[in-house]
Amino acid sequence: MNWHKLLALFLWISPHALLGVLGVVLCKRRLYREFPAFFAYVFYEIAEFILLFALYFVQGVGGKQYRYAFCATLLLSIALRFGVIDEVAKGLFRKSQFLKVAARRWLQCVQGFLLLIAVLLAVCAPGGNSLGFSAGIFVVNRGAALVQCGLLIALLLSSRFLGLSWHRPVFGIALGLAVLTTFDLAMFSLRAEFTSTTGKEILNLLTTGTYLVCVLLWIGYLIVPEPEPDSSSLAVLPHEEVETWNTEFQHLLRD
Amino acid sequence: MEHGVSTLAQGLVTAWSLVAVAFFALGILAYVAIRRTRRVSSEEAAQAFRSLDIEAFRNLVDSAEEAFLRDNLPPKKFRQIQRQRAWAALMYAWEAGKAATALARVGHVAQRSSDPEIAASGVQVAESAFRLRLQSMGACLHLLTEVVFPNLQSRSVPHLVDQYKRTAETLFRLARFSAGERSLVRSKSA
Repeated sequence: MNWHKLLALFLWISPHALLGVLGVVLCKRRLYREFPAFFAYVFYEIAEFILLFALYFVQGVGGKQYRYAFCATLLLSIALRFGVIDEVAKGLFRKSQFLKVAARRWLQCVQGFLLLIAVLLAVCAPGGNSLGFSAGIFVVNRGAALVQCGLLIALLLSSRFLGLSWHRPVFGIALGLAVLTTFDLAMFSLRAEFTSTTGKEILNLLTTGTYLVCVLLWIGYLIVPEPEPDSSSLAVLPHEEVETWNTEFQHLLRD
Repeated sequence: MEHGVSTLAQGLVTAWSLVAVAFFALGILAYVAIRRTRRVSSEEAAQAFRSLDIEAFRNLVDSAEEAFLRDNLPPKKFRQIQRQRAWAALMYAWEAGKAATALARVGHVAQRSSDPEIAASGVQVAESAFRLRLQSMGACLHLLTEVVFPNLQSRSVPHLVDQYKRTAETLFRLARFSAGERSLVRSKSA
């Protein structure tokens, strides 16, 4: 077995082994109650890996069957990621009744816009046609990655814009998934066009390497406890000046 | 043959454009991850509010003032002055939005306080601040339209002033609660 194959196997197995660790962390800290979709996604990814790993090494399973299994599991994985994004958005806006409504509308607009771009891209640039079915799946995944990455970036930027503070685990999940979908966007865009074996192998290594980094990010953010809020800063609120402001506002609005 | 080459070229351009988009997105992610929301003290939030002169802002968006200028100035001069007024008001609205963001952070900290009154007040502060933030954005867009088209007469900016008042009221309430908590701590320690 050459070093390239060893590296590919390491990068394929290690993120999923670490996902097992992540699953244990989610169970031990009872985070599955807070993040049921993410919990389901983690265990689905492990099950998907076991299935594909078995198919890869079982004698008699052809490349075509493996490809079909890969595509089917990939589509379900994409659907689960949307569930995780929804969960992240709900977690971010849950404390504000006003934002729950406003943010949902805003996210729907962003989603619609991104979906339109993804569809236009699929129509205008349907990918190289030498791989047929697989190229089609890569184009679908490319579109999904575009929508998901756009939604997560919109969430991250709007939280900065509005001054929302993230809970550590929610931020970790969002960041990890955003990195993953961003790389997916780049990788699947290239895979839809480049069909050479060497190119495919390099892109595979990059995809699995990124996945490993994202799993490490998730574990890091979920293991480290949330810092206690510093409520001492509230005690120095200059209430007299605020009162002056308040009086000034009232005076202005009476005019 | 020619069609095939152009399709291939189009595909490659799309692929590399999306790679560029992905790298740009990664840059945003790195920025957001490194510069995670800085902790803002209530002093800073109050300072941000203090730096805004609401009277000057109201004067800039006063429709009576605008009507007076319209009646007494030649059209060209009016447009010039009106553009400058709208631009100055836009700067105020922009700063009000930034102050609202700082206040929302203070509200979030207050929400997690062990004192239920401070926590409830924090919710109110944050809600008011979110509304103010969004309204300030709307006002900015409105004022930007006026910068481009100074002859437009409609104004919805008083909503912003109204929102500003509500936010200040909730901030004042939060200040009273925290002052109460502080005096409680003092009396306990005495």
